[in-house]
Amino acid sequence: MSQQINYSDAFDELQAIVTEIEEGEISVDELSQKVKRASQLIKICKLKLTTTEEDVNKILKELDSSSDE
Amino acid sequence: MPEESNGKNIFTLLEVTQSIQKMFALHYSGSFWIKAEMNKLGYYAQSGHCFPELVEKQDGKIIAKIEARIWKSDYLRINENFKRVVRDVLKDGIKILFLAKVDYKPEYGLTLMISDIDPDFTLGDFERERLETIKRLQEEGLFDRNRSLQFPMLPKRIAIISDMDSRGYQDFISIFEIAKKSWGYNFFYMLFTASLQGDKALASIPLQLDRILKVKHHFDIVAIIRGGGGELSFTCYNNYGLSKKIATYPLPVVTGIGHVTNLTVVDMVAYQSSITPTKLAEFFIQKFHNFSVPVNEAEEKIREKALRLISDLKIKFESEVKLFKSVTYNILLRNNNALREHTHSVIRQANFIFKNESGYLESFREKIKKDSLLFCSSEKQNLIQVGLSIKKDTLTHLRRLALTINRSISQLSNGYRMIVKARNIELTNVEKNINNMKPENVLKRGYSITLLNNKSVTVYSKLKPGDTIKTVLLNGNVISTVNSTSKPDDK
Repeated sequence: MSQQINYSDAFDELQAIVTEIEEGEISVDELSQKVKRASQLIKICKLKLTTTEEDVNKILKELDSSSDE
Repeated sequence: MPEESNGKNIFTLLEVTQSIQKMFALHYSGSFWIKAEMNKLGYYAQSGHCFPELVEKQDGKIIAKIEARIWKSDYLRINENFKRVVRDVLKDGIKILFLAKVDYKPEYGLTLMISDIDPDFTLGDFERERLETIKRLQEEGLFDRNRSLQFPMLPKRIAIISDMDSRGYQDFISIFEIAKKSWGYNFFYMLFTASLQGDKALASIPLQLDRILKVKHHFDIVAIIRGGGGELSFTCYNNYGLSKKIATYPLPVVTGIGHVTNLTVVDMVAYQSSITPTKLAEFFIQKFHNFSVPVNEAEEKIREKALRLISDLKIKFESEVKLFKSVTYNILLRNNNALREHTHSVIRQANFIFKNESGYLESFREKIKKDSLLFCSSEKQNLIQVGLSIKKDTLTHLRRLALTINRSISQLSNGYRMIVKARNIELTNVEKNINNMKPENVLKRGYSITLLNNKSVTVYSKLKPGDTIKTVLLNGNVISTVNSTSKPDDK
């Protein structure tokens, strides 16, 4: 899964695709590409909602190490 | 009465204090409304009485100070009334307006017996502090600082400042558990334990804010959670130091500390404040919804629109195909009919032409037949004529040729006789010459022939002196020996 794109950019890009599609600005030639991209973006957004990368132990370690200084 | 001793009047302590008691009773018989700062409440849990320390300060220095007393029964009544009005308890360091009587007892000394406290005065003082904090932060341009931060689209990593045992914290995180079950939302939160009541809060909240600062890259937001019912003491949340700390904090700070009438300054400078921790948790869930719902809608819309687009195109394409089919069918039909008609007409006309042409050909054939017969017979006559004429001409020609040949033959025989005659003459002449040349005739004329060994010698050089030579003459031979030879020129 590409995490290169940040989730708020993913969200914005997704909204842009929705607008394009709603306004009928997408030709059938672009459609499959756009739908593919949109499903990638949706995946990124949903992943952001349902997962977390943070680890309490790691943060505690950082807190301890910086208080030693 | 004082006793006399060595010229001195000596009083007992009781005599003096009783005298003071009389004097106070005389001059301070009634009760007074007094305003002062309650440095310490001096509450004794065991007895239930309070022994407040009252002071008046000027420029931070104590300029007046007195002990006071509130009996248990008064304290219970006063405190209830105070809590009802101020939404806070009687506590150290607040300004109060109280009704008191100056009391002097010989055994305890001077004290102010407090019988009532006007909560509105304290409330006004709290409000004044609140307004002062607001004004100061506004003047310093810090008031809106936290609220002007970029709020994360998904505030999912939350540093919580709360008390682990407080009901507010439990309420707060239970909403997250529900959100996880219901919608799969995954919040990351970590508790930074602090006291949230009174003066302790003023120390422990900033302490935890400083700790969070060290690991702030792990968090999107800080939530200050308090509550659980019956909680009072908001005055610390109007404190300038705490309010400033929150206003200038680099992460958005949200609060759920509860309030009733006026927002505390901390609530005001925070990015977002909710009346209860539950409400605050719902604010987070709402943020997730705000993100999730458009995503789901987008998914639905894109699916729907894409399918619609495709089905529209399909319908359009099908109708085009149908139209194309019907148009081409019509054209084919039309052309087919035209073709059939043309075929019929061609056959008809061909038949007609054939019929016509065959009559014409028939007559033409008859004519050719007749004409050729006619031509042949006429040519036959001609040929006969020619044959006859050739025969006649040939005969004439042959006759003429025979005449010519006869004439030529006679000419030839004449010529031949003349040539023979001429040749005979020539031959007679030649014979005459040849006779002249005969050796007897030559020898007759004086010539001789020299022979060596019976061979004629014509060249002198062939003869050497001593050779015997024979010289032939007309009537005999001479045999001689050669003396010498020479060339005619040598002589």
